[in-house]
Amino acid sequence: MVERYVAAKTVEEALEALSGGDATVVAGGTDVMPQSQAGRLKLGRTLVNIRRVAALSGLALTGDEINIGPLTTVADLNEHDLIRQHLPVLADAADKFASPQIRNMGTIGGNVCNASPAGDLLVPLLLLNAEVELRSSNGRRRMKLQDFFAGPGKSHKKPGELLTAILAPLPKAGFTARFEKFGTRPALDISTVSVGIAGVMAYGGLQEVRVAFGAVAPTPMRGPATEHALEGKKLDDAAIEAAAQAAMQEVKPISDVRATDWYRRELVHNLVRKVLQDVARG
Amino acid sequence: MAVIAKDSLIGRRIPKMDAPEKTAGKTRYVQDMKLPGQLVGMILRTDRVHARIKRIDTSRAQALPGVHAVLTAADIPQKPIGVNKDNPPLKGDKVRCIRDEIAAVAAESEEIAKAALKLIEVEYEDLPGLFDPTQAMQPGAPVIQEAKPNNIAMVFDYAHGDVGAGEAESDVVVEDEFYLHYVTHCCMGVSGVIADFEPTSGNLTIYSNTQVPFLHKREFSEVLGMDPGRIRIIQPPIGGGFGSKLDIYPFEPIAVYLAKATRRPVKLVFSREEEFIASPTRQPAIVKLRSGCKKDGTLTFRTVDILLDNGGYTSWGATIPFVMMQTFSSLYRVPHCLYHTKAVYTNNPYAGSFRGYGNLQATFAVEQQIDKMAEAIGMDNLAFRLKNAQAPGEVTGQGMVFKSCGFKECLTTAAERSGYVQKFSANAANRSKPSARKRGIGMASMLHVGGGAKIYPSDGCGTILKLDDFAHVTLITGASEIGQGSETVLSQLVCEELGLPMSAVTVVNNDTEITPWDVGVHASRTTFIAGNSAIGAARKAKEKILALASKVANLTPEQLDMRGGCIVRAEDGEVVMPLPKLLRSLHFSDKAELVMTTNYYEPPSVHQGKDFKGDVSATYAWATQVCEVEVDTDTGIVKLLKVTAAHDVGRVLNRLGLEGQIEGGIVMGQGYALSEDMVFKQGKLLNPAFRDYKLMTAPEVPEMDISFIESMDGEGPQGAKGVGEAPAICMAAAIANAIYNATGVRMTNLPFTPENVYRALKGAS
Repeated sequence: MVERYVAAKTVEEALEALSGGDATVVAGGTDVMPQSQAGRLKLGRTLVNIRRVAALSGLALTGDEINIGPLTTVADLNEHDLIRQHLPVLADAADKFASPQIRNMGTIGGNVCNASPAGDLLVPLLLLNAEVELRSSNGRRRMKLQDFFAGPGKSHKKPGELLTAILAPLPKAGFTARFEKFGTRPALDISTVSVGIAGVMAYGGLQEVRVAFGAVAPTPMRGPATEHALEGKKLDDAAIEAAAQAAMQEVKPISDVRATDWYRRELVHNLVRKVLQDVARG
Repeated sequence: MAVIAKDSLIGRRIPKMDAPEKTAGKTRYVQDMKLPGQLVGMILRTDRVHARIKRIDTSRAQALPGVHAVLTAADIPQKPIGVNKDNPPLKGDKVRCIRDEIAAVAAESEEIAKAALKLIEVEYEDLPGLFDPTQAMQPGAPVIQEAKPNNIAMVFDYAHGDVGAGEAESDVVVEDEFYLHYVTHCCMGVSGVIADFEPTSGNLTIYSNTQVPFLHKREFSEVLGMDPGRIRIIQPPIGGGFGSKLDIYPFEPIAVYLAKATRRPVKLVFSREEEFIASPTRQPAIVKLRSGCKKDGTLTFRTVDILLDNGGYTSWGATIPFVMMQTFSSLYRVPHCLYHTKAVYTNNPYAGSFRGYGNLQATFAVEQQIDKMAEAIGMDNLAFRLKNAQAPGEVTGQGMVFKSCGFKECLTTAAERSGYVQKFSANAANRSKPSARKRGIGMASMLHVGGGAKIYPSDGCGTILKLDDFAHVTLITGASEIGQGSETVLSQLVCEELGLPMSAVTVVNNDTEITPWDVGVHASRTTFIAGNSAIGAARKAKEKILALASKVANLTPEQLDMRGGCIVRAEDGEVVMPLPKLLRSLHFSDKAELVMTTNYYEPPSVHQGKDFKGDVSATYAWATQVCEVEVDTDTGIVKLLKVTAAHDVGRVLNRLGLEGQIEGGIVMGQGYALSEDMVFKQGKLLNPAFRDYKLMTAPEVPEMDISFIESMDGEGPQGAKGVGEAPAICMAAAIANAIYNATGVRMTNLPFTPENVYRALKGAS
């Protein structure tokens, strides 16, 4: 039962409220509210609304990285010039995200902290080598996003910590990234699987390859075997098929109400092939 | 004097009369209502699929402050409800499916009611479950309903001709087994009721979402053991029906028992999750169909064996064989037909009535085999259909008489407008090309009742019409508005007769104390039956008005007409007198009279006997729908690109309302075919939410080309037929045929979700 509601205006107020323990943070509420109403999430004694913490909103280019405030809504990501110009794959994922109503309310910080294996912004953020900044009353720390997730709905954020920034390094020249999401419907659907592939185009292939998958493992995952299969290879049919095979072997999907593990692997294979064929065509 | 030219409202685009309130958010649904002193009712449902109830202890819930009543089966009379009277509102001995009601509370608030449910202790002894209908009749199968030890809930048998003789003269015989899955209505407005019982007078008022108020009243009187004269049913506007509100369900008498126990009004409204778990479904079916034809394309016979999964109890879903047999016996000219259907009890949820009422299932099987047979004899499947299609004047083996029949026009119109024949060959030729995306086109047609369906001894509807001193009309009809636009079309028909604008009518249609009898909203009957009833009442009023006007104008009634709110001379439209003035002169005269008329319309149709033969509807609706799809062989996703529909509607009354019905039905049929699926595991629903129960959304709605064939039915109101269910019926069949055209893979099992299609394309099991 919620006994205390804190509408924090500053990060310090929010951290103060969190330091008492047994607290739930809410921003857009698009995950917290339905999950608590369905009984899947038990709200803590303190409900901390961070929606009005000005320091947690906004987007800025600082040095060679883009600092994304966790309160940035999915709709903002889709529309913001900095994202469109430097991180178009994130804008693309935001465009494929849920419905306009949810995009207007849901935040990138919420999508990260919710730690769903199917979180639609997480695969592109993994492709971008994003990091997260966590603050508590004891200080702050930075962590690679790929080290942040601990399991379905679980992260390494400690109870007293607040996500205060998402940081994405500016990609190199020639960097290209693709995100492909598959659900039953083209719109308003949770991902059955999602696939992201990025790298620097050179000599008819990809270098510094990054591959990530959603909804095929307990957490959003990088795909080192697929990356290895692709690194520096010319994107001919054989290389594409080898990468697609590597991908379907390294994912660890489960069977659930949305799909069987067999179908998820088939989709990973076919989507990786499709994305790579698309990259190869330029 | 002014002159008013003859004008007509028929065929116009008339916005629905309830649209302004609905779009402004002002419509007050049962969810919005609050009666003074109202309590919240809530139901405890079992989490077991098949178990004996050993003990229920409600003492802790009773003791919770704010709880006014806790009821179990021990507290109420054991009067089962439903088509087979096999469903006690509260289960006392055992539970048979996951939705079963075992206790109910009435409390001051939702929070208290929820807390009280958690305090109820139930002890069970689990029984072996039965989830596969094919196992229901095996020796040793668990018995679900003790009164039916063989687990058979209902059996339907029908025959005409001699299928053995038909098979002997066949050149080609095809045989398939089709599986049709569970879906549910997904009404925007969840189920809800308010029961208000006054103990001193014994009066019970029920605010109900029902589609069948008068049958409901009778059901309530039986289950409650009450004088029906004390029961009043008021129907607030409802957020969707689609057949789901055709039966009485346990939550309704439960609300009444709670109201009686507490002497307070009790409101019981489902959560969305509860709506998924505890409302009726479309009937799942296993259809074994064997058909034959000659080399020249003449159909020879059809043998049908269907198994329906009845679930734990019997609602209207079990009676769909009645409609299914019409498609097997009479959509095409079939000289020999043998039909057998069984509904068997299982521990799965039970099915109710759902738009189309079995016809989606039957059409799915019939129209796929039509394509298969045409291919087997090397005949173009449109020509094959035309060769066997019904025509006006035909009397079918089942005794249906097709007085008007636009079937062939539907076929040719849909085919020509979609370029069907050319695209079908081109797609088939492109199948083997390496592209991942394959195009397909498929066709299906349907026959459905269009002039009511006499499944009760009466299929009638009453109307009361009154005109006030200002010529405002109050149309009091037994026919309920459930979003289908009946208020608007009935008003339109009355205004057409009386020469009045639409603004001159108010409709009263939601209170059994006021409205005359109607059998209910089902079988696509309201426009036809209630329309004819309303026209009759309007004609009686017109007769009375013109009789009086003839004295004033010194002309015969035949020389007069009503136009633009005036009495006019029929030949040139010259105004004789404004209608309000005439009505006042009648009212305030020595012979003081009002214009009030009543009319009862009973269609000229037949209540079939046990052999299911006879002309059950006053007319029949026809349609052909052509679906164009793109199949992505990498993912199995089937994108519906375009639907070309041609519907024999008799005559277009309200073009806007008609288009809305057709478009909505197409999307409902699309969801049935492509995405909607209730996933059950051991009787438990795994996806009771819109996140994982996928309704079609706006971006998936295909391009539509809709044509209306006006066959001008002789009995129809202004020539019209009922079409409410028609547009949903062909879709799954047409999409299945389109997938085959695209890929060469025949999909006999619904739904065509991406994984199911992908699996079929891969040939994997």
